[in-house]
Amino acid sequence: MDLKASLGVSASGLRAQSLRMRVIAENLANQDSVAQSPGGNPYRRRVASFSAEVDRATGATGVKVNSIQNDKSDFTRVYQPGHPAADAQGYVLKPNVNSLVETADMKAAQRSYEANLNAIEAAKSLTMRTIDLLK
Amino acid sequence: MSIGALDAASAYGRVQGLGSALGSSSAPKVGGSDTGGGFGSMVESLVTGTAQQMRTAEHASAMQVAGKGDLIDVVTAIGAAETALDTMVAVRDRVVGAYTDIMRMQI
Repeated sequence: MDLKASLGVSASGLRAQSLRMRVIAENLANQDSVAQSPGGNPYRRRVASFSAEVDRATGATGVKVNSIQNDKSDFTRVYQPGHPAADAQGYVLKPNVNSLVETADMKAAQRSYEANLNAIEAAKSLTMRTIDLLK
Repeated sequence: MSIGALDAASAYGRVQGLGSALGSSSAPKVGGSDTGGGFGSMVESLVTGTAQQMRTAEHASAMQVAGKGDLIDVVTAIGAAETALDTMVAVRDRVVGAYTDIMRMQI
């Protein structure tokens, strides 16, 4: 039945969005993670990218996290000569994480998760109402 | 569709592996699965399918409790089991209701 397939699709959406949420949490948690050694690279922001995936059993197109890629934008350089991770010129590289961007991304993930939850709820209530026709 | 007196009961018994007394002595062939399309075989297949879904849901829940499972798997498995059980109960009630209607018919 298609309603059952749509439950599977929504579940794949939930899974993908929760993984995206995890990546955002990692970014937020590591926004101050600097290099281990002087002059090294700090934490690099990561982004989850999605792709459509056809479920062979049901023929429905779900979503999956294709890959978690690094954000290639530049690190910010901060002059902190006394810092253990500072290079010869006294500069420390800070992660390319912008907490505002992450917060906006988090809201988007949250909304998308909620949309999938609502789709599951709708499909489930339609199934139950169809069964209720028998009663 | 043929409806035997003890079809539903013997189907439940067969599925549970407890139906030897009921199935062999009192109602050995009552609408059995060998007739194909009988009420007993329909109930039997419905119950088997539901039991399978229930087992999957139970397994997912156990994994979740053990900290190894995925919450979304638990939710979808329990949802599928619930739907299967509700469908089975509704179909059974409907057919048993039709059967009792026939039994109450004036001859």
